[in-house]
Amino acid sequence: MSKPAIRVQVRSALLALALFAAPAAAQQLTTAWPSNVGPLNPHLYAPNQMFAQASVYEPLVKYRADGTVEPWLATAWTVSPDGLTYDFTLRPGVTFSDGTPFDAPAVKANFDAILANRARHAWLDLARQIDRTEVTGPLAVRLVLKAPHAPTLNELSLPRPFRFVSPAAMKAGGTTAGGIAAPVGTGPWRLVETLLGVSDTFAANPTYWGEKPGFARLVVKVIPDPNTRAIALQTGEVDLITGAAGLIPSEAFLRLRDQAPAFSAALSPPLATRVLALNSARAPTDDLAVRRAINRAVDKDTLVRTVLDGLEPRADFLFGRDVPDADAGLTPYGFDRAAAETLLDAAGWVRGRDGARAKDGRPLAVELAFVGTNAQQKAIAEVVQADLARIGIAVRLVGEEESAILARQKDGRFGLIFGETWGPPYDPASFVSAMRAPSHADYQAQKGLPDKPMIDATITAALAATDPQERRRLYGRVLTALHEAAVYLPISSAVAIEVHRPTVTGVRFGATLNEIPFAAMRPGPGR
Amino acid sequence: MPRFVLARLALIPPMLLGVSLLVFVMLRVGPGDPALDYLRLSQVPPTDAALADARSMLGLDRPFAVQYLDWLCRALQGDFGLSYATRRPVLPELLGYLPATLELAGTALVVSLALSLPLGAWAAAHRDGWQDRLVRGIAVLGVSLPNFWVAFLLVVVFSVTLGWLPAMGRGGAAHLAMPALAIGLMSLSVNARLLRASMLEAGRGRHVLYARLRGLSEGAVARRHVFRNALVPVVTATGMHVGELLGGALVVETIFSWPGVGRYAVSAIYDRDYPVIQCFTLVMTVVFVLCNLAVDLAYAWLDPRLRLGQEAA
Repeated sequence: MSKPAIRVQVRSALLALALFAAPAAAQQLTTAWPSNVGPLNPHLYAPNQMFAQASVYEPLVKYRADGTVEPWLATAWTVSPDGLTYDFTLRPGVTFSDGTPFDAPAVKANFDAILANRARHAWLDLARQIDRTEVTGPLAVRLVLKAPHAPTLNELSLPRPFRFVSPAAMKAGGTTAGGIAAPVGTGPWRLVETLLGVSDTFAANPTYWGEKPGFARLVVKVIPDPNTRAIALQTGEVDLITGAAGLIPSEAFLRLRDQAPAFSAALSPPLATRVLALNSARAPTDDLAVRRAINRAVDKDTLVRTVLDGLEPRADFLFGRDVPDADAGLTPYGFDRAAAETLLDAAGWVRGRDGARAKDGRPLAVELAFVGTNAQQKAIAEVVQADLARIGIAVRLVGEEESAILARQKDGRFGLIFGETWGPPYDPASFVSAMRAPSHADYQAQKGLPDKPMIDATITAALAATDPQERRRLYGRVLTALHEAAVYLPISSAVAIEVHRPTVTGVRFGATLNEIPFAAMRPGPGR
Repeated sequence: MPRFVLARLALIPPMLLGVSLLVFVMLRVGPGDPALDYLRLSQVPPTDAALADARSMLGLDRPFAVQYLDWLCRALQGDFGLSYATRRPVLPELLGYLPATLELAGTALVVSLALSLPLGAWAAAHRDGWQDRLVRGIAVLGVSLPNFWVAFLLVVVFSVTLGWLPAMGRGGAAHLAMPALAIGLMSLSVNARLLRASMLEAGRGRHVLYARLRGLSEGAVARRHVFRNALVPVVTATGMHVGELLGGALVVETIFSWPGVGRYAVSAIYDRDYPVIQCFTLVMTVVFVLCNLAVDLAYAWLDPRLRLGQEAA
């Protein structure tokens, strides 16, 4: 046998093996995720993955990209003038995938199960504000609040906890805090198989009330390594990768995007803001001039182009202008090294012979804390360090374990520290609400501001404000105060990515990072 | 021989005790706070109340010795607690992942032996010829290249460029080929080099000269008097390579998305999932000790002097 003939034989044998290993895949959509999706309890958190919870369970109302909500499992609702009572009309003809009807008693059973575990949901204002739910008809439910809470509908749209599992799948006594019997929801997908460390398989829900999924099965392969995920896409082992930008390395994203039409790649609109929080309660960042100088001294355009490969736009404010109620008409600080130097000079921070600034014998030195294993944070930190050194601020980089950084955020042991807003639908309401909790870095960073009591009170008022005009005015006041005080250095706007093969069409971004519209995807011509 | 085996097995419990104490201490004197890690992995905001709850639930508010003894008592009953990250019992989860790792490391071992022995013998037979140089070249490369880099290289060549082998996952022989080679390359290189040197040395022995004088064929001399004697150092090295192979699995499993205990442990270490790290260390200690025992037995089988020495003692 000639050598090429042997090569062909070896090759076809290997191909046959590879094909044998891959399932027949005409009606199957394959994607990758860093971990298994978890037991999919709609009312609990880790290890449940939000995109999977949102694929199996549905909310009463669905969040839209413009910040409003649309009818979903509830077709209509009315809110009492005092903002305390919400009356929902439920969608008729909806059943859970086990055949149990979705009706008012099922909704009440779910709310009761969630509120039985209220302490676990205490991070969410709505969980604290709900007084009770009442069944007012076979398809009518009333939600009664203790106090008016403007973001009620937004928070009802979250992937968890206010979604609905079949009451038949709850544990004895109608609880879910200790687990559920099976992940039975009303959504377009059913979880049919979990292989630990290998994959999770979803099947299209045949009784789904809405638009039926275009694929019979959705296979989510467990691939923890970002490079391996990119390679799996490149070699056709998965059809699609979509989610937060870190799912594949940015250079892999750029490489695949250049290989059109073999791959289609897209970036979502800005979702959240990466920031450094500046500690106003600690020297030297307790000095407003220092915080403002830092805001003027970092060349974000270069940072974004080099460290972030230009994939994320520069951010000028804590929230992007597209975030609902968050456009306060502010002026960005803008990169101006000379202006930064002038600010520091005027505030009495004078340069010594070595170029480093000091005031009354105190050196102008600040600690920047980051997660040591996070390569991106480390790279950004180094750029910030270099930029600030040029105006005479010495930055000491502190790379630590994730939990050590969490501890610093919690008790304010930082000069500068990384943070990120939570993205839709949490921004701005849930995010600013958390600024009032001492366990958050935002609270710690703002603690030293003379305005802090006013900021907290205004946040509380904004959360209760049911009049949109008034609410916008109050958020504007909070955001203006934070911007003037320069307690944040916004860096870039985090985006989501998607890259897919021509084996799938209809790929688009959901309104939030955690809603991946798998059901809208269809087999593509490359299949 | 049975006494030898029993004596070695009897060493396992005290060794595990020592290892468990060491790991327990190291994890707790290191930076970080298990309660904060627990809250972070559970996605609970770390308020003071939540921290206090977590501390008391995890028993972190008790003296260190009490914590260790309590953990030890449970561990002796097979209860290693719940993983902070996956919320599943640690031991069954770990044992569920173990077969995949043993399959991979075992295949790597077989691949490394199956290739290194003929390569080493070939090189020795053609001392200083091109064959020898080739094998020595392969050996230098194999020892110098880190396994994760070899893994990426193999993926680029055989999956991305040629499309012959699946880039990830566990399945048939095609899935095993690249990870096993990436892990086994180091051991393969060392063994080939070692066998070559030790065959050349054994070839100079007096017994070989006598065998030739007795008129035995070259083949019989090489097989019975050179190769078998030359194997002893290779077996010793292989014993040490078992650790190398299992350690290699830790890294390479992540790259090939191989659902083994190595990938599980790497995630746990990254997440600081204390219960998993503790259990993983102990399970791997047992595996490691058993593998070394097997190597020692092979050693005794190959070298009668050692066997007799043990029995005389």
